Amino acid sequence: MNSSTPTAYRPETRTATNLSLGFLTGAVIGASLTAFIGGCVVERTPLIATGLALPAAYGLLFLLATLPHRAREAAVVPRTALAAIESLEAFRGEASDVPVRFELSVAPDDTPAFRVEIRQDVNLVELPDYRRRGIVVVEYPPDRPWKTRIVKRPTPEWEDRAALAQLDSVPGPAMKDETPEGCLSGLLTLLGLLLGTAAVLLLFRADLFDSHDAEGSAPRPSVTSSPSSSPSSSSSTITVTSATGTVALGPGRSMLDKGELREAVESLTQGADRRRALTVVVQNRLLTVVFSPTGVRTAGVDPRSLPYDRVPELVEEAGTTLGVGSPRSWQLTADGVSGSLRLTIVVTGGGGAGTVQTDGQGNVLRRSGS
Amino acid sequence: MGWDRFLVLWCAGWGVVALIGYGMSLAGVTKAQRTVRLTGRIERVRPPRHGGSRTGGISVVVTYRDPASGQQVTVTNDGERGEMITVAWEGREVGLSHPPGRPHSYRFSNTPQEPGRGLGRPSFALFLVYVGLVVLAALDWGWPCALIGFGGPWALMGAVHLPEAVRAKNRRIERLAAMDTVPGHVVAVLKDVGVDEDGDTWTTITPVVSFTTREGTAVTAHCTSNLPDPAGAYGRDVTVHYTPTDPADFTLDPAAEHRSQKRDVTFHVLMCVVLVATAVTGAALL
Repeated sequence: MNSSTPTAYRPETRTATNLSLGFLTGAVIGASLTAFIGGCVVERTPLIATGLALPAAYGLLFLLATLPHRAREAAVVPRTALAAIESLEAFRGEASDVPVRFELSVAPDDTPAFRVEIRQDVNLVELPDYRRRGIVVVEYPPDRPWKTRIVKRPTPEWEDRAALAQLDSVPGPAMKDETPEGCLSGLLTLLGLLLGTAAVLLLFRADLFDSHDAEGSAPRPSVTSSPSSSPSSSSSTITVTSATGTVALGPGRSMLDKGELREAVESLTQGADRRRALTVVVQNRLLTVVFSPTGVRTAGVDPRSLPYDRVPELVEEAGTTLGVGSPRSWQLTADGVSGSLRLTIVVTGGGGAGTVQTDGQGNVLRRSGS
Repeated sequence: MGWDRFLVLWCAGWGVVALIGYGMSLAGVTKAQRTVRLTGRIERVRPPRHGGSRTGGISVVVTYRDPASGQQVTVTNDGERGEMITVAWEGREVGLSHPPGRPHSYRFSNTPQEPGRGLGRPSFALFLVYVGLVVLAALDWGWPCALIGFGGPWALMGAVHLPEAVRAKNRRIERLAAMDTVPGHVVAVLKDVGVDEDGDTWTTITPVVSFTTREGTAVTAHCTSNLPDPAGAYGRDVTVHYTPTDPADFTLDPAAEHRSQKRDVTFHVLMCVVLVATAVTGAALL
């Protein structure tokens, strides 16, 4: 592909693509760093793995997406030409390779001449070889003439031509390999970084923050006293820790009273996270619920699903029909650890203890007495 | 998802990559197999300038015959062109390779190379699978597994290669004994100064030696070992020992080479012993 008018040709600034790529890269870096560090802090493997896999996957996608473009660029045969040095400016430092800014008038054999400004490293010892109005051999890809570079070791044929040539200056502005993005690209990358970090923190806030609270050094119990709605106006004490919940009713009330047990369970299972219970133990005036550990979603049962309405008649059945004389205390144990729900009601009295076992719906499976 | 599942995924993923790589190698479509490999001949050697840079090696003009058109093509080693040519004489044969259809992206190698089979990357993927398996074993059966996994196979490979290493050392010592001796001259001392991230400067000194073989070939070479006080060596006369069939194989001090060859074999044996001890320790701790 021939560029017909190189002097009027401006570098194609794929600014929008570059800016969006910069934004995306910033987002990937922010997200992966946050995931990795957060995962290490709360010791969760999925986060750490995400933090490592995300930049790898992004890098791979990036390489694959730019592969055709890079292949096309590499396939272009560079053209050799003679050029006259219009001006040069060396930025001397401590290193032996000195960056130099050249302004060249390039005169190819069969295309119009053009003026270009390039930057190239020149060894300190070779610097005197390049003077104003000196002729050098350059190489440039025809589709991107601003990527000209000086050939420091030309073939003998070009060396001889450069020694004998006389070139005229090319007037007009010089082409530069500049990407005039400046501040905007840096700002967009920073924005991407912050958004990526925020996204990971938001998406994984349950893992990162709640579990940190739950796995804290000591469980923090919260004790609240709330007035009950029964006519005796005595209070019930509700204690909730990270693993258990306890409701102790005040004197004069019993868990067998109508609606009392369900109300007590409701007060323990308030809140958005429906925690499942491993065991539920109910005694005369005490309800104890042992919750499943957070993160374990399959074990345990929903404490609200127990047939609380059937409990009073089951207790009475265990007390009277099993030959327990003068029932003194009762205990209901709901066991959900094994997966299937089993209710065991034990009533103890003067004449011994009676046991009734039911399934999750309150249907009696077994009766036994001692 | 625990660490074991992640590791299983890792092994599976790299296993797939290795399989794809081996498949591509069998089909002959890997990059190494498609690269066009030619033999070039050095026509002219431009002696390095005193105080110049060593990057890019010795400036040479190489010609080769383009197989497609049958024409002679002349190139130089300007810029990054593969291996650095550090020993050059007129008539030396060097390897030249380029991707198919892109003769302008040529790269040099010091000796003409056989076509590769493209097994490098699949073998590396296989190595990553092996690392994953060792870590998995270490997680499941205790960390001493990592010692066994690291020490065992490497010790085995070292032991298998030991006879070959000894034979190579013996061949080299024979070559050292058969070397010709000619006078040489340090024609330039190359100096590279760079600045790293901390702001410290580093300097690399590379003396360039020139000598003429018994057949009259003028050889120019970078000389990086066995030259005392390299920075002040400009203009010094030295004695060069070289292999008559291949002047690229030269040295200034055959006795030191002899000693270093023996040291290499000793080191090889020592490494094998250390690796075996690691594996045995791992097995004992298990």
